Amino acid sequence: MSTQLALHHGRTAEGTAVLIVAGEVDMSNSASLAAAIEGVPGPLVVDLTRVEYLDSAGLNVLFAHADRLELVAPPLLRPVLTVSGLTQLVKVRPAADRDGRAEP
Amino acid sequence: MAYADDGEGGPGDSAGVEAFAADPETGADLAAVDWAATPLGPPAQWPQSLLTAVRILLSSRFSMWLAWGPELTFFCNAAYRRNTLGRKYPWALGRPFPEVWAEVWADVEPLVEGVRSTGEAIWAEGLQLFLERSGYPEETYHTFSYSPLWDEAGTVAGVLCVVSEETERVIGERRMATLRDLGSDAGVVRGVTESLDFHCRQLENNTEDLPFTLTYLYDDEGARLARTTGLPPDHPAAPPRLPAKDPDGVWPVTTLADGTAVTVPLGSGPLAGLPCGAWDQPPEQALVVPLPRPGGSPYGFFVAGLNRYRALDAGYRGFVELVAGHLAAGIASARAYRDQQRRAEELAELDRAKTAFFSNISHEFRTPLTLISGPVEELRRQLPDAAEPVHQELESIQRNALRLGKLVNTLLDFSSIEAGRMQACYEPVDLAAVTAELTSVFRSAVTRAGLAFEVDCPPLTRPVHVDREMWEKVVLNLLSNALKFTFEGSIGVRVREEEDGALITVSDTGVGIPEEEMPRLFERFHRIGGVRARSHEGSGIGLALVRELVTLHGGEITADSAPAAGTRFSVRLPFGSAHLPTDAVQQSATARTGSATAVPYVQEAMRWLPDDEGTGVRDRAEPGVPAAAVVGAPPLAARVLVADDNADMREYLVRILTAAGYEAEAVSDGHTALRAARARVPDLIVSDVMMPGLDGLALLGALRSDTRTAAVPVLLLSARAGQEASIEGLAAGADDYLVKPFAAAELVARVRANVEMSRLRSHHVRWRTALVDTLQEALLVMDEDGVVIEVNTAFTALLGYGPQHLPCPAPHPWWPEAAADPDAHGQVTDAFARLLRLGSGNHTLPFTSLDGRTLWVRAAFNDAHDPDTGRRMIVGTFRDVTAERYASLRERALASLSTRLAESTGLDEALTTAADRLSEQWRAEHVLLAVFTGDDRPPRLTSTAPVGWQDLSADRRRAITGLLGHPPLTPVRDTTGAGVLLEHPDGPMALWIELGDARRFGGEDELLLALLAGHLAQALGRTHQIDQQRETALALQRAILGPSLLPEGFAARYEPATPPLEIGGDWYDVVALPDDRIGIVVGDCVGRGLQAATVMGQLRSACRALFLQDPGPARTLTALDDFASGIPGALCTTVFCGVLDPAAGTLTYSSAGHPPGVLALPDGGVRLLDRGNALPLAIRPGLERPEDVCVLPARSSLLLYTDGLVERRRQSLDTGIARAAAALQSGRDLPARELADHVMAELVPSSGYDDDVALLLYRHPGPLDIAFPAESGQLAVARHALRDWLTLCDLPRRTAQDVLIAAGEACANAVEHGHRAAPGGTIRLSARVSTETVTVTVADTGSWKPAGDPASRALRGRGIGIMRALSDHVTITPGPSGTTVEMHTRIA
Repeated sequence: MSTQLALHHGRTAEGTAVLIVAGEVDMSNSASLAAAIEGVPGPLVVDLTRVEYLDSAGLNVLFAHADRLELVAPPLLRPVLTVSGLTQLVKVRPAADRDGRAEP
Repeated sequence: MAYADDGEGGPGDSAGVEAFAADPETGADLAAVDWAATPLGPPAQWPQSLLTAVRILLSSRFSMWLAWGPELTFFCNAAYRRNTLGRKYPWALGRPFPEVWAEVWADVEPLVEGVRSTGEAIWAEGLQLFLERSGYPEETYHTFSYSPLWDEAGTVAGVLCVVSEETERVIGERRMATLRDLGSDAGVVRGVTESLDFHCRQLENNTEDLPFTLTYLYDDEGARLARTTGLPPDHPAAPPRLPAKDPDGVWPVTTLADGTAVTVPLGSGPLAGLPCGAWDQPPEQALVVPLPRPGGSPYGFFVAGLNRYRALDAGYRGFVELVAGHLAAGIASARAYRDQQRRAEELAELDRAKTAFFSNISHEFRTPLTLISGPVEELRRQLPDAAEPVHQELESIQRNALRLGKLVNTLLDFSSIEAGRMQACYEPVDLAAVTAELTSVFRSAVTRAGLAFEVDCPPLTRPVHVDREMWEKVVLNLLSNALKFTFEGSIGVRVREEEDGALITVSDTGVGIPEEEMPRLFERFHRIGGVRARSHEGSGIGLALVRELVTLHGGEITADSAPAAGTRFSVRLPFGSAHLPTDAVQQSATARTGSATAVPYVQEAMRWLPDDEGTGVRDRAEPGVPAAAVVGAPPLAARVLVADDNADMREYLVRILTAAGYEAEAVSDGHTALRAARARVPDLIVSDVMMPGLDGLALLGALRSDTRTAAVPVLLLSARAGQEASIEGLAAGADDYLVKPFAAAELVARVRANVEMSRLRSHHVRWRTALVDTLQEALLVMDEDGVVIEVNTAFTALLGYGPQHLPCPAPHPWWPEAAADPDAHGQVTDAFARLLRLGSGNHTLPFTSLDGRTLWVRAAFNDAHDPDTGRRMIVGTFRDVTAERYASLRERALASLSTRLAESTGLDEALTTAADRLSEQWRAEHVLLAVFTGDDRPPRLTSTAPVGWQDLSADRRRAITGLLGHPPLTPVRDTTGAGVLLEHPDGPMALWIELGDARRFGGEDELLLALLAGHLAQALGRTHQIDQQRETALALQRAILGPSLLPEGFAARYEPATPPLEIGGDWYDVVALPDDRIGIVVGDCVGRGLQAATVMGQLRSACRALFLQDPGPARTLTALDDFASGIPGALCTTVFCGVLDPAAGTLTYSSAGHPPGVLALPDGGVRLLDRGNALPLAIRPGLERPEDVCVLPARSSLLLYTDGLVERRRQSLDTGIARAAAALQSGRDLPARELADHVMAELVPSSGYDDDVALLLYRHPGPLDIAFPAESGQLAVARHALRDWLTLCDLPRRTAQDVLIAAGEACANAVEHGHRAAPGGTIRLSARVSTETVTVTVADTGSWKPAGDPASRALRGRGIGIMRALSDHVTITPGPSGTTVEMHTRIA
């Protein structure tokens, strides 16, 4: 059985492609995430606002496409993105957390 | 090692036999008992404690019995059989004690039951018991101790009695009191009636030994009843007269007359219905004994009704005979008094008759005397040339004729005076001139005697009327008397004129007259004995006549005298004639020339003097032995001691005395004589005066100064003739004096006279000696300097020292030696010094007998005055209290050992305690206890000195090992110590007491050692058993306490109380309930040991079942109330009962009187669960119980416990609870189990818990522990579980997320490796939280070998990096069977 994960494609107001990820990302479903990213060529905004869990399996997918990605991440994910060094390669925009509050 | 096999075999068949083996004879009889039929069962089933007790019993030489078990089954040893049990042996063995001594059970039951119920020993002294051991109920007295005997369970299973029978002493003292009373008034002489009255009053005080008595006295017609005691008047058993010839008389008059005692059975005919005396039944027989008359037929007989509870043994018979002897002595002395009075009257009459007779006959003498004197005078003239012998004979005839003539004349004067026929003729004379003239005729005799003669007779102014012839007799008698008793100095005669008359004095410087003789000086026929005189001739009437004559003259005569200074007689004659009968007064003096009266006086006086020419014969002391005495009755059997340094003389004396029927013993000097006399007092001593060493006079002095020999008559023999020698001897206290040479008959006569005299005189002395010697108590008499001068036979029997060791100055040889026992010596010395100061006192002292035994003696001293010397004497009585003392010492030693052993908590401590106690008891150098555990290993040693087995000398090691070959509890001693073998639970144990050189180890010590060793063996067995029981109970406790697997988050501890305290009834329980809830119980039953554990088990099971039925704490406790009411011992149990909802973090609880739970909060605060509290269990069954809900914050710790954790003496419970809370807080970061240990350690008292403690701890939330297959698809499941748990932990969100991701990485790693290495493997995820830290552990079954794929390696490396970055500390531990990752994250 796979971990729950929902992937939706969209566009920003500027027209950049957006991948909205919701759920948890781990070893069992990181391939789905990879496929979704690979399916969108060029710059891509990955919105992780509704991701509750992201481990190294997911990070590996993000690292693989770091040069064309921009991330929207909730505070919950901030430490893991930071400690993994991904924030040094990818522009990360803060997201409002689940309760709608902006991260300080 | 045969013994070890027996010992380790435990109580088997051989055990009883072995216990019996200590005394083969009694043991065989014990073995023959059908024990299976007794409550004790066959010996194979007996407990060790009983076997030990039996062994001690049989190996003791003291009289003992023991009673064991519910029916007090009876055992005894050989000494008890011999001393007390008598004919009940062996019937009594194995029977219930109340049956064995049914006759005394009522008396001793309270004592026995007292010992059994209190466990305290008791002591009874001189208890009267009626025992049927000799075929009749016997009056006996016992001093004994009853001690409890403990069984292995520590309850009193039996009673040990050490008995010493005191029947002899008690009865002896009672009889002595009677004899003492009988002798108490011996000095007062009365008639026979008064004497019997007095004695019978004394007999009435002892109706125990003499329920009734009758005293009959013989007369011509038979016997006449004189007195009865204890009998009503006119009883048929007391006929007033018993005819001599009546063979059918009530009492055997005739049989008794020959002096033998007769026993008469009572109960029929006139001898029925006799009084009982002090008893409940009348006597069964009477003893009839004669009233002995010394050397004659009995005075009568004495009937004593006998105590039916005592056998008529030699002692009883002797007592009755002594009583009869005393009655007889009283009769004898009363009759003697009566006879004496009669004799005095007869003598007075005889005196008168003698005077009359002599005066009548004297006239008849005159003619023949003249017819003798005349022809003799004629013959002397006619035979001037006759041979000298003829002259001597003639001289003698003439001399005696003259003497006889003078005597006849004097007697005639007397009779004349008495008859009033004296024809006096008083004429006025110049008294000075007449007296001076009379003195002149005596001048030559006085001069020849070497004396000065001073005559001073100046003329008087007036004449005095005198009868010349009478006056001559007055003066001549006084002068003759003066010359007779004066050996040097002078004789003086004076005449002086006084107002109314003339005073004439005749004085001398002679021997003088003893003061006590003065009143009788002028009595007729009275002679002063024992004084030195020129002659023993004389009739004793001279001075009597003088007084009569002076009285006729109307004058008076007085004498004053001082012994050894001289005597002065003063005669006063009044002037004038008015006082004289007128018809006898002549108005003028008649001329008289010369005086015929003077001649015989002068002649007689001249013969006393040394060189009286013509007399030729020297006077010698006359024997003065009445002829009748020599030929009288055969002599009394008597022992005569002869002391003479001349062997021939000794033989001669012994020959004479032996031929005369005496038992004679001869010794050669004074010292030997003194020793012989002290060793065995003779009836008479015949001693030479001149002897080497101690001469006769010194011997006499020594004998007289010693109470025991003071009364022995002494007859001195001397070659020195003359008055001086005999006076010297008599003055020194000799009873008689004999000058050598002497005739055999004279010696025998004197010996006989003295023995008889002495017998009469010493009646009271012999009575006293007999009394003293029959005293049961040892008696000694000391003078005021502490010199022992008399002891009795009981004293000799007690201490071995007898009269031959006397006199015995202090320190007395029976004092303990200062070197051997300084304490005892000091004790005696102090007591003695105090005694000499105070004269009396009571002491219990250790003495050493002649044969070296140590005796404890209760000594009572009183001072008394010797009536003869007036000196203070000290009389002491000794009673042997050795057995009592040792018995009480034993009791004390046993009690002391028991007390100390009871305090010891284990075998080793018991051994150390025992060694110390034994060392103290004997003041030993050291005490060793060696336990032989088997094989050839050296024994395990416990010692009061720091020595090991190898430090001991080879000899000592051999001696200790050698004890293994001896039967247990049989002490063995050598020169420096003593040992005994006893049972230790691990094997035989040798106990050795090293005493050192100076100490003695006696039979008493052996007994004590055996008893102490037996006690120790029992105590060791008991301690061992308690240890084992405790272990068992503890195992049981732990087994039933609680689930061995507790749900996560719980920790429990159970700590039993410190040994030897028994485990208690504490418990805890954790029960899994439906809906993932958890039931929690902590309880505490009242009481200790297995019983409490059993109650606890039942309550615990019940509580568990009730929980499952209705999981509400209040209702569970209410139901438990009902349950507990039905279980004995469950009352007052306290219980904390709660239901935990781990998911909700709530605890619903109710408490039945239990201490409140403690909740330690993560912020450092504390909350007590003190609501929902009500009464302990079963106090009010049916009462509704309250309950309360407590929210458990995350990361809080809940502590439930029993009161043992927090309760301390002199501390409030709140203080204890606060301490527990503090401990809980200080360890809050520890995992639950470690926290439990921490709390226990923080609260333990220095001496360990003195009550048991149950503790239950819950950390909320409990840890997470899940396992899942190593598949990536399972990761989310695990992660969700972890997330939920983290929520319960109430962590900051970021922290929870960090933990979650780190754990996720670890899990992913595990899946990857586990998947690859071992498909289907399991991954274990666990997490626990404390106040400050979250710890997650992930364990897999694979290995993390880096895979060959470098990309993959890089990717997984990122995972590890994340783990490390998100955790504070990560450890990865690879192992052959898997890898464990542990991550610690601090809670911000």
